[in-house]
Amino acid sequence: MSGALTWVRQDMRRVIAALVGIVLAVLMLPPLWILLQDSVTTTNAIGDVTGFTAGHFAKLFTDKDALRSIWNSLVFAGGSTVLSLVAGGVLAWLVERTNAPFKILAYLATIVSLGTPYILHVIAWLFLLGKVGPLNDIYRSVTGGTDSLFNVNSMAGMILIEGFLWSPLVFLLLGSTFRAANADMEEAARMSGATVLQTLRRVSLPLAMPAILALALFVFIRAIGGFEVPALVGMPGRIYVLTTDVYEATIVVPPDLGYAAAFSVVMVLIVAVLLYFYSRLSKNAEKYHSVTGKGFRPRPFDLGKGRWIAGAMIVANFCVVLLLPMITLLWMALLPFLRSFSLAALPMLSLKNFRTVFTAPGYVELATNSLLVAAAAATFIMAITALAGWIAARRGPGGWLLDQLATLSLVFPGICLGVAVMEVYLRVPLPIYGSLWIIAIAYVIRFMPYGMRYVYSGVLQLHHELEEAAGVAGASSLTTLRRIVAPLLSPAIVAGWLFIFLVANKELAIAVLLASPGSQVIAVSIFDQWVNGQGGELAAFGLIWTVLMTAIACLFFVQGRRGGTDVFGN
Amino acid sequence: MRFLLVLALLLSVSARAASPDPALVDAARKEGSVVWYSTLIVNQIVRPMVDAFQAKYPGIEVKYSRASGSDTALKIINEARARRGAADIFDGSSTLVPLIEAGLVASYKPREAEDYPAVMRDKDGLWTVPNLFFLTVGYNTNLVKPEDRPKTWEDLLDPRWKGQIAWTNDMSSGGPPGFVNHILSVMGEEKGRDYLRRFAAQQPVTIPAAQRVVLDKVISGEYPLGLMIFNYHAAISAEQGAPVGWLKLEPLIQTMNTMSIVKDSPHPNAARLFVEFVLSDEGQKVMAANNYMPAKPTIQARIPELKPEAGHFTVKIMTTDDVRAHLAQWTATFHEFFR
Repeated sequence: MSGALTWVRQDMRRVIAALVGIVLAVLMLPPLWILLQDSVTTTNAIGDVTGFTAGHFAKLFTDKDALRSIWNSLVFAGGSTVLSLVAGGVLAWLVERTNAPFKILAYLATIVSLGTPYILHVIAWLFLLGKVGPLNDIYRSVTGGTDSLFNVNSMAGMILIEGFLWSPLVFLLLGSTFRAANADMEEAARMSGATVLQTLRRVSLPLAMPAILALALFVFIRAIGGFEVPALVGMPGRIYVLTTDVYEATIVVPPDLGYAAAFSVVMVLIVAVLLYFYSRLSKNAEKYHSVTGKGFRPRPFDLGKGRWIAGAMIVANFCVVLLLPMITLLWMALLPFLRSFSLAALPMLSLKNFRTVFTAPGYVELATNSLLVAAAAATFIMAITALAGWIAARRGPGGWLLDQLATLSLVFPGICLGVAVMEVYLRVPLPIYGSLWIIAIAYVIRFMPYGMRYVYSGVLQLHHELEEAAGVAGASSLTTLRRIVAPLLSPAIVAGWLFIFLVANKELAIAVLLASPGSQVIAVSIFDQWVNGQGGELAAFGLIWTVLMTAIACLFFVQGRRGGTDVFGN
Repeated sequence: MRFLLVLALLLSVSARAASPDPALVDAARKEGSVVWYSTLIVNQIVRPMVDAFQAKYPGIEVKYSRASGSDTALKIINEARARRGAADIFDGSSTLVPLIEAGLVASYKPREAEDYPAVMRDKDGLWTVPNLFFLTVGYNTNLVKPEDRPKTWEDLLDPRWKGQIAWTNDMSSGGPPGFVNHILSVMGEEKGRDYLRRFAAQQPVTIPAAQRVVLDKVISGEYPLGLMIFNYHAAISAEQGAPVGWLKLEPLIQTMNTMSIVKDSPHPNAARLFVEFVLSDEGQKVMAANNYMPAKPTIQARIPELKPEAGHFTVKIMTTDDVRAHLAQWTATFHEFFR
């Protein structure tokens, strides 16, 4: 290879790296900067900076309520992490490693929950566990009293619902860990006379432990930034966490943006520390993976008679995670006003809410808006990360920096990113605020790390000899990228695109402060309708939307299996 | 007979057609659409009003969205900050207060409001009143026996209602701040503060949603009582068969909705035409037909008993000027007692 050719190749990569780096920097850095700035400045009614202050932080650390919110956040995130790990983990083990029946139900629940906005589940569970829901109804008819067994608007209720919310994801991710685990050691344990439980405790669990811990941290980080459950379940019970405090400070008149920004900075710091540990843990987890990975499926444990108990657990999980919430939504959709499950209400059932959804203006536009924004964000992210991920994985020029830039937004809880993006684009003299663009930009910032993950691990699976061969044959780096890397990477890119498309349509926290009446997306609109008293229509629309998104989630699932990458490109 | 009917029809058509200025209608048609940020409930009144307007003025599309007063104000302020105004019209007195302060309200004196009482239109043309609110306590008829129903505001302090009363988090004259003001102005400062202290000890449950949602929770049986709910909301649901009623805790709270036009909005003429329509006999009849309380004194409510005269209940009126002057102070008092 001549020196000139090498130079051209290197140079092209350098140009690409520089361009991608500029795009990433323009997107990712301003939100962080504006949060820091807002947290130490005072502003007037128009949002101009009028001076510096340490007051916001002082208030934060002296205010009794603020400290309680921080504590509540930790309890809430910790509790729901444990719950989702236990529920999702047990399910994953039963499905992947035993001969329990009804496995298909676990996948079904997971696929549907991948496509449903969290807020729909939350609304359904609020009713199920609420004062007039079946749980308390049954309790009252058994005891004959008027008291409730369970107050859903409590920390316990929040943890329970958030835990259910995350358990399908835990199931998916731990499932792949259990699938890839080394069966030889388990076989050895069984042959030496260990029982199933002993094997599980002494061999399987320790092997999976790094992956479990990494996942626990991941769920904890997401739960700290969770908004749906704290807003709908916690606020009526006056239980505030960091995210709801940020939200409240932003929606009062006049908005207390400095305080919201200070709160956000604290959350960003907490998450950054956790992320540091997460990345160390997940590196370890990968090490275990590569040592123990095997090309065959391990023999499932025979649970004997216990398999029917296991089957019952799978069915119970299916009911809790999917069946009951969906029945509840249907019940809400068919009634003119919400009431508890009863035969007396049957004559009132009607399809009026469904008719409204199809005839009232706005719903079709809303659905198209959401799909468009999510698709645009996913497309842009995959285009950028295909380049950035390739350069980073191949240790190209500035690769480390590109990786850091692209994954920077992991430190933002959704609601904080919403505040930051709103503040940035209120100050930019471009017509972005109040249009769908601002939501698309926030999605791009938010989900860039996921795209990076998919591409990065996709590139690592390609042997670099393929690219070298192209280079030797005289291809420039652009040609290599276009003819060799892109086609081989396409399964990872498609899987990443679908994943981003799905999560973008689920998340409420990012868009809740950015959506305007003229530019709405699904999750925000559902939240608004709940707040504004259109529960029946919301449920009808939510069900229709769930069917649509489930179809897309199925695609994703099939693609993920075929492409050899699982949900997080792990 | 038939001749008379035709004549009457012709007359009514011409009378109606003459009411808005044809030049305004033309200018509005050219703009083609108008955007309404409302605090009213979409499926109860916003959609029927929009449908009626669009039927009368085909070619002018009304886009709408519903949010609480403070959310709406914030959106409009942010749109102004970004120099990207979208809203033409807004309603809600708690929306109005911060927007007047921010200088974002246009002055317009609707022709249709000329025969409205003075208290229902601003002397500077910043707002007019499209409908009235009567606020009180709603109750679940299955859960609250007739003999247990509170009869006075004092009855809400009964220990049996501890943790059983729900209300909205909407910080408007139709929410907790309005209640605080009502109690203080009806009972006097000293007795009123004592009442508020004892009422706070009852631990009312704050629902982070509109009054309509609070009432829905009363209907579903989650809470037997809902405070600061609109009496006509209860009537609308009772007509659909819901187990709900409203209590005559005298005096009831009367507040007024306000409607205004956003300064330098994208469709100023269509906005004016829409405001004229809502205040006209036709618009007010749409209010009445959907069980809302028309502001125009000559238009009857569909259920007359929902208004003080026919319903034989007393009210204490909170005027829009009161709200403008004191809402911040009432909100502060609310926080003092209930946070």
